[in-house]
Amino acid sequence: MNFQPHEKLSKHVVSKWSASFGRLNREQTGITGLLSFSEAWTIARDFLYPRDLTDASPPPPKKIRDVKAAFDVLAQCKMLPVLMEDFLEDMHKQQYLVTREIKIFMDKYDATSDPQYIAKMAIRVVEWYKGWSPPSELGGTLAAAYTLNFQTHIYSVLPPSFTRGFKALLNLTFNLVHMASVPEWMSSLVPANHPPPARADSPLWSAFDKLGLLDRYESLVSSVCYEYIEAYILETCTKRWDESMLVAIREWMTDNIVPWMIMPYARGARNAEEARSMLQGVGSRLDFHVCKTLTDLRTSEIFDIIVDYPDSSGALHDLKECLQRVDQRSQLVQTLRKANNKRLLHPGADTKDILTQYVSIIRCLRIVDPPGVLLYKVADPIRRYLRDRPDTIRCIVASLVGDGESGDSLVDDNEPIQPLQQQQEEDYSDPNWEPEPIDAGPEFRTNKPSDIISTLVSIYDSKELFVKELQVLLAQRLLAITDGNYEKERRNIEILKIRFGESALQVCEVMLRDMTDSKRTDTHIQAQKSSNLHATVISKHFWPPLQSGKFQMPGQLKELREKYAKEFHLFKPDKKLNWLPHLGTLKLDIELDDRTISAEVPPLEAACIELFSQKDEWSVKELIEQMAGSMESTAIIKALGTWIDLGILKEEGEDVYRLLNTAEEGDQGHRPSTRPAMTIDEEPPVTSLQQQEAAQMQVFWKFIEGMLTNLGTLSLDRIQSMLKFAPGYDRNIEQLGGFMEAARREGLVTVKDGMWKLQR
Amino acid sequence: MKVVVKNWHAIAQWKWDTGNNDADDGDVEGDVCGICRVPYEGCCPSCKVPGDDCPLIWGECSHVFHMHCLLKWIGTAASKQQCPMDRRPWVTAERKVDATTNSAPTP
Repeated sequence: MNFQPHEKLSKHVVSKWSASFGRLNREQTGITGLLSFSEAWTIARDFLYPRDLTDASPPPPKKIRDVKAAFDVLAQCKMLPVLMEDFLEDMHKQQYLVTREIKIFMDKYDATSDPQYIAKMAIRVVEWYKGWSPPSELGGTLAAAYTLNFQTHIYSVLPPSFTRGFKALLNLTFNLVHMASVPEWMSSLVPANHPPPARADSPLWSAFDKLGLLDRYESLVSSVCYEYIEAYILETCTKRWDESMLVAIREWMTDNIVPWMIMPYARGARNAEEARSMLQGVGSRLDFHVCKTLTDLRTSEIFDIIVDYPDSSGALHDLKECLQRVDQRSQLVQTLRKANNKRLLHPGADTKDILTQYVSIIRCLRIVDPPGVLLYKVADPIRRYLRDRPDTIRCIVASLVGDGESGDSLVDDNEPIQPLQQQQEEDYSDPNWEPEPIDAGPEFRTNKPSDIISTLVSIYDSKELFVKELQVLLAQRLLAITDGNYEKERRNIEILKIRFGESALQVCEVMLRDMTDSKRTDTHIQAQKSSNLHATVISKHFWPPLQSGKFQMPGQLKELREKYAKEFHLFKPDKKLNWLPHLGTLKLDIELDDRTISAEVPPLEAACIELFSQKDEWSVKELIEQMAGSMESTAIIKALGTWIDLGILKEEGEDVYRLLNTAEEGDQGHRPSTRPAMTIDEEPPVTSLQQQEAAQMQVFWKFIEGMLTNLGTLSLDRIQSMLKFAPGYDRNIEQLGGFMEAARREGLVTVKDGMWKLQR
Repeated sequence: MKVVVKNWHAIAQWKWDTGNNDADDGDVEGDVCGICRVPYEGCCPSCKVPGDDCPLIWGECSHVFHMHCLLKWIGTAASKQQCPMDRRPWVTAERKVDATTNSAPTP
């Protein structure tokens, strides 16, 4: 019943059999074909069989002609694919031999961490590879299949520690150049009968290539190279800012890295031209890496580089060039801003230091980024911070007039003095106009490279503040001058006139004129009637508010002053003098019974001691009464203190001071009897700008108090608009806000939802 | 005990001797010129430097102005040569003008 399929099957088998037989027998008589095939198969398999290389007994010599013939037979029978499979199967069985050797080498490496074992292993494995490799005549398919199989096996048996060893070995290859002699083990890698290669590591590289390690570990190879470059740059460039390093690094790359690069990246190159084109891609990648590493380094050092400016201009030029290749501008800005916040913009830093650093930042970033985008981003927080510092203006002004004591001025003396520049509108009709850089923020304005002073002055909205502060400073300095030499101040004012404009400094001009006029008048008066008093007569409305307060000069001092005033009135009949008793200095000799003491003191001190020449004992209250003054008793006590320090007065009990006509015992010993003493008023005689402002604001407080009493609650806007009716009110709403906030802190007002109200 | 003054550097403010205030009221804010409303010790709007370069002028009517201000006023037709304060004919007070003009050229 089911006979049919059986018959079909046997028929099928028969036809297959005859086909196979026909193929193997190649239509030869009998089975001779089959026999010769069988022989050829044996020869071929035997030839290909992966032998144990450690086996000392040489493989039976084969006649190459026989082998060839055998392969021909197999090819005719189309049995090569089967042979290949058999071969690969054999290889699989023999692989343990290679594994065993790899393990031996790797064990040695693990024990010693010496990369030479990795090298030796690579060379040895290549020997296996070559030993087992089928001849190339057998066609690409077999060779490819063999290589693939071999490499797959190698990769599968390499332990994890191989990566570390391979890396160490690669690192070693860099240092070949610097080694006096190639390590002995490495030269032993070259077979004895070969000529030594151009580079000692050349056999290594060809071994790596054979085993496909270069492709498989490509990222490792390049990372080793990157790390090597990084280490070099960090070593040579860290803290070396005085010269440009980029050129030197690139030279070093050409001398050291390029010859090395040829090994992994341009092995097949036949001539220099070919090598160059093969290296191009990787070369530019490495150059990028150089730039990036250098940029990272310089970015991390940027604050100190700026501190060191101008000794660090080399580093800045490097940075500029690198930033054109590497897009790290925002990192630079962030790093610098962070460094500034941490190291500069804190209460411990001197305003002068902040300004100096700011000026250096301006100069440095102008080098790195001429359009000023980076500068704008970095400078913004500094400027905001400086605006909040109370003494910023004073510092800037002090540096403007070249404050002698601080030594270095913010401004480079070589810079041409030019008028302050206002922010310019962009001129789109300029044929050289360029759009703003892409990372410029919306508020960024292209600042034409303006000079430092303009930039500093522009921290504040108006230059009037500067002129006011300048006036205060000038007043302090002029009044301190006693030798009549105003040339320096005059020169300063002339320079500042160029900057701020003639009209802004008109007031200062008058101040200077007062000084020269006073000198002339004094010369005249001295000629009429010689006096020890020399007066500086100033024009009240052109000077900042000065320390006021009245007291009567006693005795000879009063006489001196009156005589001088009389002479002055004779000389200028239509003018009178209005003395400022607290200002000025006197040089006195105090002649006592046993000693004479010289001192240079302010007028109040002089008045006190003069009173003691009338009477030996005074109380503070009596002294104030005698001088008809309105001063605080603390001022008197301070003045008396000066004389106590000099050993002339003594505090006797409660509030009584006595003159020491003869020096006290014991006092004499350590106190030199005639000692020039200098007492400098700690408070400058000229009221500072803030004090002035506070005083002015007190007036306006009365208005504010009034309107809040009458109207209950008011918004800041309302207060501002109402204050505008007050005479002389010139504050903006921010200043008013600051003032109200201060008043709130003092508990005078409260604020709720922006509405201000008197605290009751 | 004797105090010997070797040298005294004193500071003073000058003010015009207008004759109608006594010597010791330095703290009081000075009078202003009736024309330009600038203090006498300041200078008139056309001057930059106060003092001898911008002197005062006294009228017999007892009013005092910056000389430049008054001369400018007198120079206009609308003034009718009158003092701007009291509309009396302007007569310069002799005493003061002489003193001013005599001492104006500084040595």
